[in-house]
Amino acid sequence: MKRPDSQQLREAWLLFFILGIVMLNFPFLEIFNKTSTILGIPVLFLYFFVGWPSSILVIFLFCYWIEREDSGSGDGGGPT
Amino acid sequence: MIPIWSVTTVTSLYIVMLFGIAYYADKRREAGHSVISNSYIYSLSLAVYFTSWTYYGSVGRAATSGLDFLPIYLGPTLIAFTWWFVLRKMVRISKEQNIVSIADFISSRYGKSALLGAVVTIFAVLGIMPYIALQLKAVAYTFDLLTAHTQHEAGALYGLGPWLPDFVDTAFIIALLLGTFGVLFGARHLDASERHEGLVAAVAVESLVKLVAFLAVGLFITYGLFDGFADIFTRFRQTFPERSGLTMVNTAQAPYSMWFTLTFISMMAVMFLPRQFHIMVIENSDEEHIRKAMWRFPAYMFLLNLFVVPVALAGLLLNGGETSGADYFLLSIPLESGHLWLALIVFVGGFSASAGMVMVESVALATMILNHLVMPLLLEFALKGKDLSRLLINIKRLAIMAVVLLGYVFYRMIGDSYALVNIGLISFIAASQFAPAMFGALYWKRANRRGALAGLILGFVVWFYTLLVPSFARSGWFDARILDQGPFGLQLLRPLELFGLSGFDMWTHSLFWSLFFNIGAFLVYSLMSSASRREEEQAVKFVDVFEPPREQATRTRISKAPTIIEFVELMGKFIGEKQASLAISEYLGNREIDAKGSLHEYEIPGLKRFTERTLAGSVGAAPARIIIENYLSARGSRMEDVFDIFGSVTLSRSNSREQLSVLYEAARAVSSGAQLQTILDNILDLLHQQFKFDLCVIRFLDESKQALVVRSQKGMSSAHLGESERNLSTDTYIGAAFLTNATTVVNDTDFMDKPASSAIVHREGITSFAHAPITIEGEPVGMLSAFSRGAKGIFTAEFVELFSSLARQIGIAWRNARQTEELIEAREQEKELAIAKQIQTGLLPDRTPDVLGISLAGICVPARQVGGDYYDYLALDRTHLDLIIADVSGHNTGAALLMAEARTFIQATVRNQGDVASIMKGVNRFLYSDLSRAELFITMFYARYDVAAGILTYASAGHNPPLLWRRKPGICERLDAEGLILGIQPQVEFEERQVLLASGDVLLLYTDGVTEAEEPGNGFFGEERLAQLLQEHCRQDPEQLIATILHQLRIFTGSHSFRDDVSMVVMKIG
Repeated sequence: MKRPDSQQLREAWLLFFILGIVMLNFPFLEIFNKTSTILGIPVLFLYFFVGWPSSILVIFLFCYWIEREDSGSGDGGGPT
Repeated sequence: MIPIWSVTTVTSLYIVMLFGIAYYADKRREAGHSVISNSYIYSLSLAVYFTSWTYYGSVGRAATSGLDFLPIYLGPTLIAFTWWFVLRKMVRISKEQNIVSIADFISSRYGKSALLGAVVTIFAVLGIMPYIALQLKAVAYTFDLLTAHTQHEAGALYGLGPWLPDFVDTAFIIALLLGTFGVLFGARHLDASERHEGLVAAVAVESLVKLVAFLAVGLFITYGLFDGFADIFTRFRQTFPERSGLTMVNTAQAPYSMWFTLTFISMMAVMFLPRQFHIMVIENSDEEHIRKAMWRFPAYMFLLNLFVVPVALAGLLLNGGETSGADYFLLSIPLESGHLWLALIVFVGGFSASAGMVMVESVALATMILNHLVMPLLLEFALKGKDLSRLLINIKRLAIMAVVLLGYVFYRMIGDSYALVNIGLISFIAASQFAPAMFGALYWKRANRRGALAGLILGFVVWFYTLLVPSFARSGWFDARILDQGPFGLQLLRPLELFGLSGFDMWTHSLFWSLFFNIGAFLVYSLMSSASRREEEQAVKFVDVFEPPREQATRTRISKAPTIIEFVELMGKFIGEKQASLAISEYLGNREIDAKGSLHEYEIPGLKRFTERTLAGSVGAAPARIIIENYLSARGSRMEDVFDIFGSVTLSRSNSREQLSVLYEAARAVSSGAQLQTILDNILDLLHQQFKFDLCVIRFLDESKQALVVRSQKGMSSAHLGESERNLSTDTYIGAAFLTNATTVVNDTDFMDKPASSAIVHREGITSFAHAPITIEGEPVGMLSAFSRGAKGIFTAEFVELFSSLARQIGIAWRNARQTEELIEAREQEKELAIAKQIQTGLLPDRTPDVLGISLAGICVPARQVGGDYYDYLALDRTHLDLIIADVSGHNTGAALLMAEARTFIQATVRNQGDVASIMKGVNRFLYSDLSRAELFITMFYARYDVAAGILTYASAGHNPPLLWRRKPGICERLDAEGLILGIQPQVEFEERQVLLASGDVLLLYTDGVTEAEEPGNGFFGEERLAQLLQEHCRQDPEQLIATILHQLRIFTGSHSFRDDVSMVVMKIG
């Protein structure tokens, strides 16, 4: 099974990191910076409080995936 | 309002519980079972980030300026993406370098600079102290709010007794309490690793408590008092339509630039605030925990922030839009709605947030103060010879209390003024100043001490000027005109619009300028100035921490090196004797210790590094370096590079050109066939000239005198060193080296433990010398010695290797000469030998008998000139054949004669004596007296094959059981029978056995010379290998089979000749 090398991992994390910074700053925030609401909740608030757990989920999945790669070198499967 | 006693009781119970948990964790650690070494505890302990400033303040901020409280948590979430690389690297470095604080980290990376450590410490204390004040304020304020409710001004506990002095208010008592906690779990004893499991356990519990408390009150307000998120938002929009900005960004109070600034500084703060560094890096017990914390810590922050906006808006709704008490909505809402227990829980949560921060921060700062401010002074005033460990631990306790109490003083001085509310962010920007030096430390090898120092100092000066000065001015400490007109009327230098940069909030403004100068100076100085060697070494250790370690290019040694005991004593002074001896025994572990109870010379620098590292774990890298350097220089020791005896043209350390050429020359001398004396003289000449020794001597053992006698000597004339005999005693180095058969090197004659040698050596002005045993087959026969008056430390490990191999070459020359002598001697005995040899060759059959239906072959390869083996085949008639193989102990003429006797007896009686067993019995009886007189014995195997019946009858006198290969079923059998070795007892009965042979079967008789053929270091050839060979080659005819076995034996032993006689007889049926 192919293992992601350290360089690839670093680049993936860096990508997430930069993506996160972009999505949580001007001008990206401007898209949601409106007074309108969805189900009575302001759009921007929704954006933060849905986007934030989503990014945490991404880290979780990614960590989970690496850990499986690290430990399960024998199982042959895996999303490589 | 809640009665004061119930608040006090609940708080006290909570504190007792924390003490209990911390105590338990410490006990478990001492027992070797860490409770905190798990990823949940680690993730929770990281939440020490979340202080009461944010616990209460987030709501206040959300109610007044909107969503700009969020970046404080979004930043850490984002930076968590990099933890697997950045944080893990920091953890790995800190573990390897035994780093104990962020000041230690920076100072250690930049050449263990004491100055840099002090600078970082001072700035950290300056930047953090107000933050501690803020925590004390929050606890005191909420306590008073809870108990006195309306009466804010006078502290509730103040009313406890009028006899208490004026300054004893709630905050003071809280400060004392938290300081005590810090002392108890941060400085109970000096630890070589500076880890505090009890503290971490308590912090983790506190993190859990504040999360639960916040979620409880959030759920209560959102779903108890209101009807969920949508309800709060809808009602708020209807009631305060003009405040829609509270759910938006880029408002007047919080523009995008500030949003970015807050995100950035919280990223830096979560990494580089001293307490965060302490919890994340120093207290980390396993790198794997980082991976889990990367999502658990952000998830924690997410949960904690979920209800901040609803609670803030609800507070505004309930208070008619009034924002003055917004900071404490969390507490006032349940209080006013009559849910006192909930308010109490909130208070405990807020207390947890403050307590955790104050405890960890004070311990982290105290460690820094002790190591980087107090320790250098202490070392300066050289409390030499004293046991400092008690003093150090007490100073650390004092420092913890001092940090907390200074926070308290700050709280009292500033009071409720403008400065306090911004303190949190001021601290964050202070922590951001560490970022360039830290990232440079991790990723940029060129980064050096001057750069880091210049960057940090400039960054902090600008930070102070653009943040603290305006705060102080607004609090009335400074003339407020400085803000409008600049210092001394210089408009350009206005603290909030430095160099005319206007239009930004103060955070962005300060961050921009401080980092501009910080990074600028860091880059410029690093690029313009060069790093010292120590800095370069450290840079590699930090930046390349994940690279496999490279071998050090140059070797060092310590002149006048301290002994192991002295190193232990030194460590003991700082970390206590028990810790020191524990550490050293772990280090020594499986290292070789020589007869003097010391390490090899080249291990001493390693021991020095270890001592420094251990001390660093307790006092920090820079002080540890100073301690060791002072110590060594005080006793006159110096680190010096090893004098490279091979010069600068070394190709590779193991095979330098000179080494090869010297060995080659020596080998040529040895093989020249010259007289021994000439060879010895030539080799010494070579050694003397090539390496400029002052004296080289060869001595050989004179067995009659039991002394080493000089055979050759080159160089200065010295009656004592070069011309006299040496007795075989351990009083001299040469005697000891001979007796232990080991090369002895003294690289510094100032340190010798043999007084007899010492006197001579000093008289001759020798500074280093070596003795290597000259050996033949591993046994010492003489000594090669070299003496130098020049450099100390001339004998490097490589050179000693060369020296030893020269000694071995001399051994070969000696042996060759001896063999020639022996040959001459042997000629004297030649006649006798010739007779014995004749006897033996005469014993062995000169041809194989002609027997129908079998093929036969036999061989005897004698080990020396006269063998002890014998085999024979006797054809009684055309259908009966007797096979005999025997081995007599001893290899002299006597043994050969006895064998001849046995043969004669057998040949004479074989036709009269009936069966096999009686022949053996007869041989034994006949030879017994001769054998026992000569103290010899014989093993023998006797077999008789009846060709017609195909029956083999045999008996054995303790001989190696022959092997019989059965074609069907294809297995190997051993032919064994009971019988005592010949020559042990006069009367012996022999067992007789029979076996039926079939066509294709192969019988192999052999002597123990075959199975006991030995490969050096790999044991015997053995019966199993022999059986294997027999099986593989059973199709070959007997001659071929014997040749094959002999060939394999030679391959196995790696030599053509054998140590014992090798005899074999092979009989193949059909």
